Amino acid sequence: MNKGEIVCTVCPTSCLVHAKWDEEKLISIDRAQCKLAWEYISDEIFDPKRVVTTTVPTDAGRNPLVSVKTADPVPKDLVLDVMDVLAGVTAKVPVNAGDVVVANVLGTGISVVATSNSD
Amino acid sequence: MRTEQVDVAVVGGGPAGLAAALSAKESGAQHVLLIERGDTLGGILNQCIHDGFGTKLMGEALTGPEYARIFIDRLTDIGVSIKLDTMVLDISPERELVICSHDGLIRVKAGAIVLCTGCRERTRGAIRIPGTRPAGVFTAGVVQEYMNIRNLSVARKAVILGSGDIGLIMARRLTLEGVKVECVAEILPYPSGLARNIVQCLEDFGIPLHLSTTVVDIHGNDRVEGVTLAQIGPRGGVVRGTKSYVECDTLLLSVGLIPENELAKKAGIELSPVTAGPIVDDQFQTSIPGIFCGGNALQVHDLVDYASMESEKAGRSASTFADDGRLPSPIIKVLPGQGIRYVVPQEVSGNESVDFSMRVKSPETDRYIVFKRGEQVIRRMRQIELAPAAMIRMRVRSDRFQGSSDPLTVEVAD
Repeated sequence: MNKGEIVCTVCPTSCLVHAKWDEEKLISIDRAQCKLAWEYISDEIFDPKRVVTTTVPTDAGRNPLVSVKTADPVPKDLVLDVMDVLAGVTAKVPVNAGDVVVANVLGTGISVVATSNSD
Repeated sequence: MRTEQVDVAVVGGGPAGLAAALSAKESGAQHVLLIERGDTLGGILNQCIHDGFGTKLMGEALTGPEYARIFIDRLTDIGVSIKLDTMVLDISPERELVICSHDGLIRVKAGAIVLCTGCRERTRGAIRIPGTRPAGVFTAGVVQEYMNIRNLSVARKAVILGSGDIGLIMARRLTLEGVKVECVAEILPYPSGLARNIVQCLEDFGIPLHLSTTVVDIHGNDRVEGVTLAQIGPRGGVVRGTKSYVECDTLLLSVGLIPENELAKKAGIELSPVTAGPIVDDQFQTSIPGIFCGGNALQVHDLVDYASMESEKAGRSASTFADDGRLPSPIIKVLPGQGIRYVVPQEVSGNESVDFSMRVKSPETDRYIVFKRGEQVIRRMRQIELAPAAMIRMRVRSDRFQGSSDPLTVEVAD
């Protein structure tokens, strides 16, 4: 059995969770202040994921950039690859928050969406 | 000069001002005027494109622009008057503002005022780093605006001084954009930012965090060429033999935020030497009746959710004051005791439940935050991890205040 201390990053409380796990699954957690920690800690051990937030240039409009994010967390190993994909993307104005900027990024099934408006 | 009459004037259109204006209007104030110096609402949220906002207030992790949009849309729907590109030049204790806008100078007579003027970043001058004065020394928030709003490339190789949240967020942001972040140096023996940011922004990318370390020299004439780092001993001096040179073209400073209270000072509002914000009661009313304060102008927050929540309260109180001028008077002082750096509000009426904010002086594990009247404990709450970087919020119900107007003290205890 493995054990370790993992910071839960679900919310800013940042609980330092004491976790125990085997090869396949999370066995127990201690010192977490809410229930959301279980799923996060389990993912963090077996399949860590992150939301990527960044900007892409707009083709025209008042602002040179529009902010974007992956609509769901992507595997942590792919964060820099998502950045590489977005390096070649320009958003056509008008863009509204929620608009898909890149669909199914890197075949993950996850879209990159705008988080602000640009016109 | 033209004169306008409003029920509630809110100064500042960042997260605090948005929440205050919205709640003032929702609480019944007829004419609410929101005054913003910049050309957009949302304040600093617009450049905070990372996520994590709203987990406490809305139960989901939003980016800064998304969080701001929720308030801006509701504000526009409900009919708050908004003046952009407008500077407040003066505020009097009689609640008269002089504002400068595209319509010229206007005198605004307000039934109540909420100050939501936010905060500023401490600069190189404030921490007196020796060395030359080349280009390439920025505060972290300025770099955030350059990168996220203006599309400017700022650095190739950077060192970050200070482990405040904005510095940590920018370490990740620079890394994602291809900048080599050599390290983050923190003069204190513990991080100044939230643990989640240490994990997500530094550990994820293998960026070293050097504690008890600071920049003791900046090199370069036209542009930064490098900095000298050194370890700092327990008494604040440089530890001999620990100086090291790090080549870089940019130094980012994330060394603290200072509440912006020039207008409050002009009005003669009493400020706390510890928070640098106004001293307030549980209505978030300052020492001048009818002038309220919330958000980072009151105390520097680490979570926007709490800045919004306290400003909502300030907006409600302002609406009540503008309506009939009647608010419960503060009669109980609340003082920081053992281990507590400050507590806000500093006085309460005892008639209502109060959400207190406070910060501890140093990191602690498995302790209690205790509210006491003399030796009598009126509320205690267990805290697993305590850190100066993490503001503590704690509700004390109204019935706990009953029976006495003697001052309360808040302390860290076993």
